Amino acid sequence: MSSQSLQALWEASAGQPFEPAVSKDQQFSVGFFLLLAAFLLSSLFGLNLSLKNIPLYAVPASFAFGFGAVYMICAVGVYV
Amino acid sequence: MRSLISWAWLGLISSIATADSNLTHESRNILPSAFSPPKHFRNVNLVRNINLEKSYPRETINVVIENIDKAAQNEYYIPFEQGSLGQIGGLEVVDKKEAEKKGFKVDVVGIDPFSTTEYYKITLPTPIPPKDQLTLSITYFVLSALSPLPREILQTDKQYVLHKFSAYAPSAYTTVKQKTKLKLPTTDVPDAVTLPASLNAEKKEDPQKQGTSYTYGPYSDIEAGAVQEVSVRYEFTKPLTHSKLLERDIEVSHWGGNIATEERQWLTNRAATLKNHFNRVQYQQSSYYNPPTSALKEMRFPLVVGSVDAYFTDDIGNVSTSRFRTNKKEANLELKPRYPLFGGWNYSFKVGWNGDLQNFLRKVKGGNGETFVLKIPFFEGPKQAEGIEYERIVTRVILPEGATNVNFQTTLPLISNTTSLHRTFLDTLGRTALTLTAINIVDELRDRDLIVTYDYPSIAKFRKPLTITAGIFAVFVVAWVLGNLDVSIGRKQEKGKKA
Repeated sequence: MSSQSLQALWEASAGQPFEPAVSKDQQFSVGFFLLLAAFLLSSLFGLNLSLKNIPLYAVPASFAFGFGAVYMICAVGVYV
Repeated sequence: MRSLISWAWLGLISSIATADSNLTHESRNILPSAFSPPKHFRNVNLVRNINLEKSYPRETINVVIENIDKAAQNEYYIPFEQGSLGQIGGLEVVDKKEAEKKGFKVDVVGIDPFSTTEYYKITLPTPIPPKDQLTLSITYFVLSALSPLPREILQTDKQYVLHKFSAYAPSAYTTVKQKTKLKLPTTDVPDAVTLPASLNAEKKEDPQKQGTSYTYGPYSDIEAGAVQEVSVRYEFTKPLTHSKLLERDIEVSHWGGNIATEERQWLTNRAATLKNHFNRVQYQQSSYYNPPTSALKEMRFPLVVGSVDAYFTDDIGNVSTSRFRTNKKEANLELKPRYPLFGGWNYSFKVGWNGDLQNFLRKVKGGNGETFVLKIPFFEGPKQAEGIEYERIVTRVILPEGATNVNFQTTLPLISNTTSLHRTFLDTLGRTALTLTAINIVDELRDRDLIVTYDYPSIAKFRKPLTITAGIFAVFVVAWVLGNLDVSIGRKQEKGKKA
């Protein structure tokens, strides 16, 4: 790219700053509640290890843990 | 790990590498040995200003060039001796009459490894027709140029530095009229080489003094490549801070909405060394009236407004003598090194801070939300009244994992750029890292920006949480399989029957 164009691109994009899905001060609460949900759902799954409970508890617990872990790690200062 | 290795490596070579000229051949066009710049131009009038107020000289050459060839020409050369070319930094050329316009293209051209002269080639955007003139303004910095004389002083002594230069400006063309003006920081100038009146066009003995400015010249009809060595020795009781290496990491996190910056510095003070041992009592006494000193005692980092979580550590650990002042208008990091840096002493340290990504990153208009443009300072570093020179700056921009199609732009002259992978926490593939290297930079250029664009598709964005999700899900499935295994000993019990 030519040297002038990136500066022009930066200025043209002035109206669209990057917006994170969860702001820095809410990362801890979002991460905490997702991890709590993951804990509760996996406890429920642990009470009855049946095939029916895999989509009911295990899948949501996995997702809650995956996203919760990412936000909790960010909240404690390791910005992944 | 890498930084540890380079840290150790620098420790090993630091004794020999101190203030050597930066003669790397990384971005040099090698021309045939028979090359000499064609004499297409003539310097009609040349005024060269050498500003010695900081710890590195800044030279500004304002020159009216005239095309004396029969054809239009657009290549202008500036020669430097091989030793001094490695100390030249930040060379920029603009049209004096349109100074606000972009600078001209500048390249370093070497002839062969054994030649003593090398050139900077300036490519003018439009060729100059025959007999036409153009006024160029050439600016550059000379690193490691001042040497303390005497080389050893007492702890509270004044420091004097020697600057050697040529009274004639470096030129590959005949110069009709020229003069060299010096701007000194003080009137305490014990030595300045005098030149006989016969050389001067106005038959005056050089230098002509007026307060803190000294003038050599005017001289008329100086041939190409002519050198008239002179020197001045003047008081400069300030540190000659020299950074051997500055490594800078900028880590972009979309999930965290954060931009993390870390700078690792390897500093040395080129000032006069101590004649006797360091005297702590004397040093402590002098801290009450704060006299000028050649020791580096304090550094100030004016950071981007909104910076938070600053830290300052060195090999031992956290250094508590730092202050971070931050409010809505400014963010200043003020640090005192673990010990004052007298001449010949080294200090390496790390500083870092965080910032909100919103202030640095924008979504590109018309880029379907997956192309981003990032604008950051190329380097920050301390801002000192007496200046800091950097031998080498390595800036690494660590983009999110899976970022592709990386483009960048900066106005600083670079010697190399590479894109690689950097592996750290929660990475599966590794993050895209753009590494840029610049040499011979001074702190005056610290406001130069670096603009980076990259594509970051959503599939790459969700890689991290989905990897963890898949891992946890695998644990659940394994738990389910193991939980339903029948590992009982003995005969199977039939349903409904009591044991």
